[in-house]
Amino acid sequence: MTTLSLKKTTSAWIITILVLFIIAISFGITMRFNQGRDINLNPDTFYSIMTVHGVTMIGIWSCAGMMAVNYLLSRYVKTSVKLNVFAYAFTVVGVLMIWASTLIGKFHAGWTFLYPLPFRVAWAKWGTPLFLWGLTLLAVVWLVWAIGMVAQILRNYSLSESLAFQHLSRTKTPAKETPPFILISFVSLIGIIICLVTAAILMALLFAEYYSNGGFVNDPLLVKNLTYFFGHTIANEALYLGLATLYEIMPEVSGRPKFKTTWYVALGWQLSLFFILTAFFHHLYMDFVQPISFQIIGQMASYLASIPSAVVTVLSVIFLVFGNKIKWNIVNGLFFLGVTGWIIGGIGALIDATISNNIVLHNTLWVPAHFHTYNAMGNVLFSLAFFFWVGNEFVDSKDYSKFNKLLLALLIIGGFGFVIMFYIGGANSIPRRYSVYPKELNLGDILATLGGAFASVYLLAILWIFIDLMKKCIKVFSSAR
Amino acid sequence: MKVQLFVLILFFSSASVIALIAYYVFRSSQPTTTNKESVKDPIKKRGIFLFIWFFILAVIFSVTLPKSPYYIFTDETPNQVVYVAARQFFFMLANEPIEPNVPKMEKIEVPVNKTVEFRVTSFDVNHGFAIYNERSELVTQTQAMPGYVNKLRWKFKEPGNYKIFCLEYCGAGHQLMQSSFVVK
Repeated sequence: MTTLSLKKTTSAWIITILVLFIIAISFGITMRFNQGRDINLNPDTFYSIMTVHGVTMIGIWSCAGMMAVNYLLSRYVKTSVKLNVFAYAFTVVGVLMIWASTLIGKFHAGWTFLYPLPFRVAWAKWGTPLFLWGLTLLAVVWLVWAIGMVAQILRNYSLSESLAFQHLSRTKTPAKETPPFILISFVSLIGIIICLVTAAILMALLFAEYYSNGGFVNDPLLVKNLTYFFGHTIANEALYLGLATLYEIMPEVSGRPKFKTTWYVALGWQLSLFFILTAFFHHLYMDFVQPISFQIIGQMASYLASIPSAVVTVLSVIFLVFGNKIKWNIVNGLFFLGVTGWIIGGIGALIDATISNNIVLHNTLWVPAHFHTYNAMGNVLFSLAFFFWVGNEFVDSKDYSKFNKLLLALLIIGGFGFVIMFYIGGANSIPRRYSVYPKELNLGDILATLGGAFASVYLLAILWIFIDLMKKCIKVFSSAR
Repeated sequence: MKVQLFVLILFFSSASVIALIAYYVFRSSQPTTTNKESVKDPIKKRGIFLFIWFFILAVIFSVTLPKSPYYIFTDETPNQVVYVAARQFFFMLANEPIEPNVPKMEKIEVPVNKTVEFRVTSFDVNHGFAIYNERSELVTQTQAMPGYVNKLRWKFKEPGNYKIFCLEYCGAGHQLMQSSFVVK
């Protein structure tokens, strides 16, 4: 059951996420215009902005997925508003710590803070501990939050039911049904817990070196594996949380029957947890000292992860829509567009996850190309769909607004135009994470300017959505029930 | 056709097909649509799709895996070994091993169409070691990681001046980090 306090907390999350999103997009546009030499930033300022852009985007969209799941869980289990408020409050503190370390302290080791770069201090001395403590705080708080939600699910569903094992039989009808939303949320939260525990171990190792004054030194290859296990998994699980909301909301706003958990839905999502936890090896393809078996597992798991996604989720959405008269609105429109962006980004990811391609694509603009596609045109749209849906709950309305054609055009032209410049750059060997490009690679300049221009169009769409949503989000604070 | 152009064409054509399917599915759901029926026998269709997709992935996997850098030129004895050590924000290249405290930078020439082995490490943070040809195309790469030596083998098909860029973010001078060598 949703309460007013849950609505208020969710509203606070939405306002905070969108404000941070708008600022983080502005940082991204600033970077592209600097790469295009339209403006001129000091390299340390550029890389500080790059660091804060990455960490903010990963953070806010993980939170968006978690808080959406937290809201929808209240339909099935008793949820704790206190836990939600705790997560919100400490997330704000963690973000402020990270922003202070990067924007004031000029910490610029990148959001992946690849060891031992954070310890080669080229910024305020306090920047490194503040950044790492900020991240540690976020990891611990989200860990507590995720464990809390898993515990809440386990009160109503046994472990086996939460994983929908009773649905695996093709002949027997299960005594108790596990809704797809519960299954996907549970699987994704388990993935998040595993990756946040890894983050905590990683932080402990880094702090051990930092505070031991040279008494303890880390192994760079081990730390790199841990870093990418954490980074890759959190980014992917955030997207899966977005899919959980899609399964729950899309049919009901489209006037279609709810999705059901069948044997293949259960099996597909159980397998995706396994694949997503082993696909991260693809980040280390160019480390030839890594055991070759891990590299092969990386390519295999990256390929296999696409099977349940495509055969289960994508086809479910196609079957939901195809040949059925759908009441299209902003909510299911964003979900549908998001699925399209997610698949297109997934193709870009599969190309990069192929080792023989990776040797000429690794750390080129192909990397931001594919992850911006499935984030900016995938996961973000899933979360925005949830925001519009819950915004109507705030004002007790079932009358969802239409998807304005101009807004749709701004999103598509801005979003895809922005990522296309990255893909062309990647195929032309332009490196990622360069504040400016050397003269040999100056094709990157014009692509960056165009990318920045398209991203500005995308930003206009987000500002439009922000203004639209704020009316409903603010209203909930003056509501008496 | 070089790999980069091939994957770009592959990506854009796949993205166009996906966009067209999405539009077709969307159009089929319009209130004005008549004589449309929702999908019949969805489980069978899922099965067919699963089989086709798995088959495509299995073929691509089998074809591409042997082309991975870990397997190419491994049965050949390198004609030349080049030692590479990266530091913020420069590369050291030499024909003999490089000691951390003895900076060494030599002019490197390697033979065309012969196997060359680059032994790449770093003396501080993680760096990238990416080789670009005269047309500024990325030819091959590996990582330069402190405490480890990555062995990259390559056979250059064209003579010329090759550039080296760092492709792993390593700090505020990352974009300035480059070197070069000659293939004769």
